[in-house]
Amino acid sequence: MSGRARVKARGVARSPSATEVGRTQASPLPTSVDLSNNEASSSNGFLGTSRISTNDKYGISSGDAGSTSMERGVKNKQDFMDLSICTREKLAHVRDCKTGSSGIPVKLVTNLFNLDFPQDWQLYQYHVTYVPDLASRRLRIALLYSHSELSNKAKAFDGAILFLSQKLEEKVTELSSETQRGETIKMTITLKRELPSSSPVCIQVFNIIFRKILKKLSMYQIGRNFYNPSEPVEIPQHKLSLWPGFAISVSYFESKLLFSADVSYKVLRNETVLEFMTALCQRTGLSGFTQTCEKQLIGLIVLTRYNNRTYSIDDIDWSVKPTHTFQKRDGTEITYVDYYKQQYDITVSDLNQPMLVSLLKRKRNDNSEARLAHLIPELCFLTGLTDQATSNFQLMKAVAEKTRLPPSGRQQRLARLVDNIQRNTNARFELETWGLHFGSQISLTGRVVPSEKILMQDHICQPVSAADWSKDIRTCKILNAQSLNTWLILCSDRTEYVAESFLNCLRRVAGSMGFNVDYPKIIKVQENPAAFVRAVQQYVDPDVQLVMCILPSNQKTYYDSIKKYLSSDCPVPSQCVLARTLNKQGMMMSIATKIAMQMTCKIGGELWAVEIPLKSLMVVGIDVCKDALSKDVMVVGCVASVNPGITRWFSRCILQRTMTDVADCLKVFMTGALNKWYKYNHDLPARIIVYRAGVGDGQLKTLVEYEVPQLLSSVAGSSSNTSSRLSVIVVRRKCMPRFFTEMNRTVQNPPLGTVVDSEATRNEWYDFYLISQVACRGTVSPTYYNVIYDDNGLKPDHMQRLTFKLCHLYYNWPGIVSVPAPCQYAHKLTFLVAQSIHKEPSLELANHLFYL
Amino acid sequence: MEENNLQCSSVVDGNFEEVPRETAIQFKPPLYRQRYQFVKNLVDQHEPKKVADLGCGDTSLLRLLKVNPCIELLVGVDINEDKLRWRGDSLAPFMGDFLKPRDLNLTITLYHGSVVERDSRLLGFDLITCIELIEHLDSGDLARFPEVVFGYLSPSMIVISTPNSEFNPLFPSVTLRDSDHKFEWTRMEFQTWALYVANRYDYSVEFTGVGEPPAGAENVGYCTQIGIFQKNGGKATEACVSEQHDQHVYKARQGLTMLPRLVLIFHPQAVLLPHLPQMLRLQVFTTSYPSLQQERFFKLVLVNEVSQQVESLRVSHLPRRKEQDGEWGDKPKDIGGSKAPVPCFGPVFTEVEKAKIENSPKPFCVGDKFFVPLQRLLAYPRLNRLCANEEMMRSVIADSIPLSSDGSAVVADLCNYFDEQFEF
Repeated sequence: MSGRARVKARGVARSPSATEVGRTQASPLPTSVDLSNNEASSSNGFLGTSRISTNDKYGISSGDAGSTSMERGVKNKQDFMDLSICTREKLAHVRDCKTGSSGIPVKLVTNLFNLDFPQDWQLYQYHVTYVPDLASRRLRIALLYSHSELSNKAKAFDGAILFLSQKLEEKVTELSSETQRGETIKMTITLKRELPSSSPVCIQVFNIIFRKILKKLSMYQIGRNFYNPSEPVEIPQHKLSLWPGFAISVSYFESKLLFSADVSYKVLRNETVLEFMTALCQRTGLSGFTQTCEKQLIGLIVLTRYNNRTYSIDDIDWSVKPTHTFQKRDGTEITYVDYYKQQYDITVSDLNQPMLVSLLKRKRNDNSEARLAHLIPELCFLTGLTDQATSNFQLMKAVAEKTRLPPSGRQQRLARLVDNIQRNTNARFELETWGLHFGSQISLTGRVVPSEKILMQDHICQPVSAADWSKDIRTCKILNAQSLNTWLILCSDRTEYVAESFLNCLRRVAGSMGFNVDYPKIIKVQENPAAFVRAVQQYVDPDVQLVMCILPSNQKTYYDSIKKYLSSDCPVPSQCVLARTLNKQGMMMSIATKIAMQMTCKIGGELWAVEIPLKSLMVVGIDVCKDALSKDVMVVGCVASVNPGITRWFSRCILQRTMTDVADCLKVFMTGALNKWYKYNHDLPARIIVYRAGVGDGQLKTLVEYEVPQLLSSVAGSSSNTSSRLSVIVVRRKCMPRFFTEMNRTVQNPPLGTVVDSEATRNEWYDFYLISQVACRGTVSPTYYNVIYDDNGLKPDHMQRLTFKLCHLYYNWPGIVSVPAPCQYAHKLTFLVAQSIHKEPSLELANHLFYL
Repeated sequence: MEENNLQCSSVVDGNFEEVPRETAIQFKPPLYRQRYQFVKNLVDQHEPKKVADLGCGDTSLLRLLKVNPCIELLVGVDINEDKLRWRGDSLAPFMGDFLKPRDLNLTITLYHGSVVERDSRLLGFDLITCIELIEHLDSGDLARFPEVVFGYLSPSMIVISTPNSEFNPLFPSVTLRDSDHKFEWTRMEFQTWALYVANRYDYSVEFTGVGEPPAGAENVGYCTQIGIFQKNGGKATEACVSEQHDQHVYKARQGLTMLPRLVLIFHPQAVLLPHLPQMLRLQVFTTSYPSLQQERFFKLVLVNEVSQQVESLRVSHLPRRKEQDGEWGDKPKDIGGSKAPVPCFGPVFTEVEKAKIENSPKPFCVGDKFFVPLQRLLAYPRLNRLCANEEMMRSVIADSIPLSSDGSAVVADLCNYFDEQFEF
């Protein structure tokens, strides 16, 4: 594997089970209604427990470009918004039928369950007012709940809106209750709406009901998922605890209300902030410790052990110690040590530790000044994984190994959950009072589309498995390769020998694939990043086609500084390889083959193709992610094919501030891409299909309202007479449904190329699932496609097959990938820019896949 | 009346700023909290293992007591089921309790039912608290109360608090402090009752209270009067007390095994309460905390501590690599050092502990492997506290942490991925 092969391996998502950890749901959840019982409450901070408010940072899934810092309610509202965007009704050719018919039918089991209820089931929405008015939500709820009128009815109440499954006798019901202090409170319950089960509000209520049910099964709600802390999986080497659990949701799929559940793991860290600081101090030494420590810790979320709350670390106060005093609410002074002893019976052992500072969030309806909380590092647990941890290959491998579940294991967990819900008296009672009944697991029929042939220079190859055709093409010449005549190798004294032997091997394998590699100039440099960059500056001239650097360690600075310089300051394709990779015994041939392929792509070569039935088609991939250094910067990567064979690409990466800016820069990109196409083909493409990835929850509306019009105008604007026909498809790597095939009484992953376009899809969308990746030991996750705009009018069959074909064209992996190649290229490009370069790469490189 | 307003607004809805009321007398901290703090201090002092709160309401006192490391069984009983359910689930262990488990087991259970019912599940307790309870009992229940709590349950210690009616004239209104109060006693009334009960069931009683009267009115006594009842017999020294506690625990367990649960549930009247009410105490909520007494969590903690100690020793063994080229500005520089005092970190050992560590076998390297003898690990106080001997440590960590072939030391790779990340 090459220097960055690890990153690549993740990019291709070879281990889907690693990404499922802490996954977020893509399904609707409550909007205005929030009925969790243990709302944060106590004003004095010593009695209360609060709901653990978490965001994406908390789990592993930090990839969603969604609303990490937003309040939960807002986020839920956003998810929900997506479902109200009905894009299918505008697409005439799929209005009646959006399902394909080609391929071999395959019977699939899903992780979806029927929810049965009576035909005439209705939900009654009431509004409750109190006279005199009560500000406390808890008191409002308590008074209403204790009333005999409502005591044995199924109800959900948030303090103002009350939902009942049975109608009250009167439209307006007057009740009165006495508070503890003897005050009489009048409650007026007024019927506002009668909602059919298909109403979006009902879906929120169903979700609330299921959250209650899972709590009754002694599971902990973290974020929106439920976890079981009594059966943790431990990874002591990395100080991690993994709690098994489920992501659940209830929503409408096509015409039926379904409950979906998927196994999820919560990653918790068995490490206090103090332990982290001590270890860090030991490593870095005291000089520069404070800065390093602040750099590592600020912005992280910590969990306090004594009151179960989460705080973000906004600063570290090195001058305050636990022995210092602070003023309590009642005005008295107390030391931190005494406070924790008195209040929580906790003895603070390290009296020299500094204090973490957290800016407290304001409460609702509170305009007072934001307050600061001082937290003791010893009592704070780190949560989630740092970027450093997620880029630690060993750690992520350990997590993946522990959380990977084969389909049969997953099916067992689901069965156990359903069994628990049905056996637990409280849980079943809750369901039954609402008139709901847990139904059967959904089975459906998918189709396996035909496998693809791989077109090489003078050979058509039918791979044994689409998962990996490296063996099948070993003896074939690649489609097209430029000769590599002028190039450099930078290595240190220590690595010179290995570089030489690698070079021999590289030239041999490159030759056999039809890629001519001349002898390079080898430059020896000192082992530090600055020396590498200096050498690059000194030796690279306009004739140099490629620079290869043999890196002595995988310290990020080497890679980042070289890539930064060679991508923007002095645009020359570069290839970084870790010296350690070249030292692997017996791997030299396969490593050299892989690197030779990357190198040929980087200087404009083409590796292979698949049959594309459409004659003048441009495919575009767009991905968006946040910059690793400045989180408010969006990195937008766009990649478009510029030849009918879909083997050559135009790639650009643009940095933007907001989502609407993203739409604007798409126009800039499209114009450039169409010009390129025109230059090579002397015409404009007849069809353009855009695959848009990196779409967060709730962003569908922006896409439909801003991005699609921008794309349309750029297509129309570039030509006066005929304009290209456009389709826009949203691509999601994460989705709730899972599919299994049943074989010999056990369940397995479905075959590659399985398409699902019924039952688990949404009625209001032109959508389908496609399985285009393999999971050797885990469960494969389908990729979800939602066609939001379609002028091309391709039959669903053709759209699905074309998408499958495009999954074969990612040149960094001789096999099929989880998303269409343009998306994967765009992803790779944004990743490089967001992690290493942090600025727009030079346009001079746009015609090559320089970022592989 | 006023005093109770304060209590209600703060306990019930957790936000007492929202009900601003003119009060003649304000207690700081609020009186209800003074009462809870009083119980908490008592628990700190006597370290009971099994504690029950009769009339626990919304379980505020239980939540305060659950942090106490000595308590192993905490029970709340209340007649108002809604109140119990309300915040009952907030008594469940926090996430942090799983990451840093307690030393001893703790089970918290809430029962819905009357406090004047006999229930064998409350037998053998070390402390039973009845905070602001008896004044809510009608005369029949009040008459039955001593027989059940003192006679039948017969815990080592009972704490009873009740309003002192002599204090009431200091409040603006002179009626009872709460509409549900059946009576409010003077000090004399309470003490007479308490002494009679103590005498009858062989307890000794001391009187005290919380809520100091304002200056000039000292003669009315505390706003809340409290009686602390201790069972007589065999408690001359502290050692005896704890010994007696053990006996109680034993007895309680025996009691439970003698009366199988099924019998309790299906035929409670038949077995236990031949002539007593139909109302049966219902278990509303129960939760048990993870603790080091449970093998799973003990292992988790020990493995973590060992890993951490090994890692720390490993890092200090790493050869410090020198930065060859200082101009690469990645290494943060301490600007001036005037900004903050340089922190000093890590555990602080006493001289004895230091000597013990020094005298234990040292970690060593063989090739690229790093070995830490288990004996060395046992010398560190945090590990020593968890694990007494090498054999035990070995058997617990063996399947989680790589050991040397003879099992006497932990093995780790001397260098790992993270080290490179820290090479500046």
